[in-house]
Amino acid sequence: MGSIKLKNVTKSFGDTEVIPPLNLDIEEGEFVVFVGPSGCGKSTLLRLIAGLENTTSGEVIIDGEDVTEVTPSKRGLAMVFQTYALYPHMTVRKNIAFPLRMSGMDPAEIDKRVAAASTSLNLNDYLDRKPGQLSGGQRQRVAIGRAIVRDPLAFLFDEPLSNLDAALRVGMRLEISEMHKQMGTTMIYVTHDQVEAMTMADKIVVLQSGRIEQVGSPLELYNSPCNTFVAGFIGSPKMNLLSGKAAEKYNAHTIGVRPEHLSISDVKGDWEGVVGVSEHLGSDTFVHVHFDGSSEPLTVRADGDLELEYGAKVYLTPDLKKLHRFDENGRAFKL
Amino acid sequence: MSKRTLPRLLQTPAVLLLLVWMLVPLSITLYFSFIRYVLASLNRPEWTTPSITNWRGLGNYIFVWNNDGFWLAIYNSVFIVTSIIVLTVVLGLATAILVNRSFPGRGIVRVLLISPFFVMPAVNAVLWINMILDPVLGLQGIAVSGINEFSENMRSAPLIGWFFSLWPELTPISFRASQTSAIAVIMMVTWQWTPFAVLIFMTSLQSEDQQQKEAAILDGAGKWAMFRFLTLPHLARPMSIVVMIQAIFHLSLYAEIEIVSRGNGNKNLPYLIGEMATNNIGAASATGIFAVILANIFAIFLLRMISKSLME
Repeated sequence: MGSIKLKNVTKSFGDTEVIPPLNLDIEEGEFVVFVGPSGCGKSTLLRLIAGLENTTSGEVIIDGEDVTEVTPSKRGLAMVFQTYALYPHMTVRKNIAFPLRMSGMDPAEIDKRVAAASTSLNLNDYLDRKPGQLSGGQRQRVAIGRAIVRDPLAFLFDEPLSNLDAALRVGMRLEISEMHKQMGTTMIYVTHDQVEAMTMADKIVVLQSGRIEQVGSPLELYNSPCNTFVAGFIGSPKMNLLSGKAAEKYNAHTIGVRPEHLSISDVKGDWEGVVGVSEHLGSDTFVHVHFDGSSEPLTVRADGDLELEYGAKVYLTPDLKKLHRFDENGRAFKL
Repeated sequence: MSKRTLPRLLQTPAVLLLLVWMLVPLSITLYFSFIRYVLASLNRPEWTTPSITNWRGLGNYIFVWNNDGFWLAIYNSVFIVTSIIVLTVVLGLATAILVNRSFPGRGIVRVLLISPFFVMPAVNAVLWINMILDPVLGLQGIAVSGINEFSENMRSAPLIGWFFSLWPELTPISFRASQTSAIAVIMMVTWQWTPFAVLIFMTSLQSEDQQQKEAAILDGAGKWAMFRFLTLPHLARPMSIVVMIQAIFHLSLYAEIEIVSRGNGNKNLPYLIGEMATNNIGAASATGIFAVILANIFAIFLLRMISKSLME
């Protein structure tokens, strides 16, 4: 169980409307990622689902039941916060046991559940330490442990990895995905990092200023973004967006080409440009090419062993089959 | 010169000054407590100048130990300080939580709350004992006689008169009496020091982590559970600061005791030392050393208790 439905949900703080009427269906067992730039309302949306914020209008429905007026603890959701929000004066054991203790569970059963959770999260050695004595990754695990023991209908993650260093982030990302596959519980995950969204999600919800721009699987969003915002947001490095004369040739107001869909040649091609900075990653080289038709340099993903001199003249050719066309309102269309 | 020599050399004057500041009075007190030293004596004029030849050993300590007034003073010191600390912490916590909410005029209320702390202790004592607690002229006297007069008048009223005839006549309490003078001191000092506790608790409440509270809401904690498991542990450290500072200050209460009843019924250690120091400096010094020991026991005991019970 654990389907969540938002029906015409709005949220205003005073006179400013943060979330205009919004509808969203989250299926049972799905891993849904809310992604968008900071201030796009993704965290507010999560807090509305959790019940930490009240909706201004509209309904939040969990498992077919209207929970708009239900208190957060009765909604059966568990949340993992960005700052972990562990209770600093309690040991790890007590932190994990806290929600069970609050629900008045039998102590023997609490011990059993805490033991199970701590084993699955490799926390057995740290149970008697305080959060202050743990590393960032371990704290994150404790926060997840505190969520798991409750056996919730759905997990809510509010940018849980943004306080971790890059290496740990990749590891935790895998662990959370693994956890989702094993438990099959609905998870909603908020992030501003599109890499996290692409790698973890069953379904990505791209948000901008409180509006849903597009909902779809990672590859759907990648292959057919519905507008320039989604096109520019999903994918790393960013999609190259060109407008003006360069785009008119392809009968569009704006065209978008992903870096991997541009071929580079020093002999001939459609666009002539000058090589700027090259970033060598080993497996790939990201070449930034200055081109008259675009105000920003175009990014090209090329072979790892490509060596180009700064300032050299090159020709770029877009892959026509992978070209994205957008009209003057930024919406995608096909010819 | 090695790397550390210069910094140490530069620190030396400050460290020396502090050491002298602390050690000189303490050693003089220790010295006096082991000799016979009085300010005036017709029989033994040699005792009026401090000298090692007047050595008395532990005599002063034994004299003080066997003095009934000493044990009463210790009892009063502990009673007064403990009561004040408990009352200020409880009242301060309650007030801080109330004032921490936002309401119109909060700024003014906060300033007014702090103001008792700016009143001089002696003035505080005079105000309380004369204007508030006086059985005739103080608010207490006025209130008691007002209530008595009211029930007296109502006794002749039809229908409800019988109810008022059941009322006993109230007698005002004299707070200068030996049974109540300690309570008067506790009341006035509590009034004055609650703002201090409020101030410290308020700043600490404002630094409480909001996400922790939200996590607790989702974990199903109610208002009381959040207070008990989040706010109280968070306040454990400021609480120990409030307790420690107040223990230091109130173990040396003097002005209030002098003004309320001149030590009648509320004589604490400093007041006893003061009385002894009118002549017997040796005994006064010995009492002073006892007071230092008591203060240390008090501080350590209280701090341990707080950190253990709240930090889980």
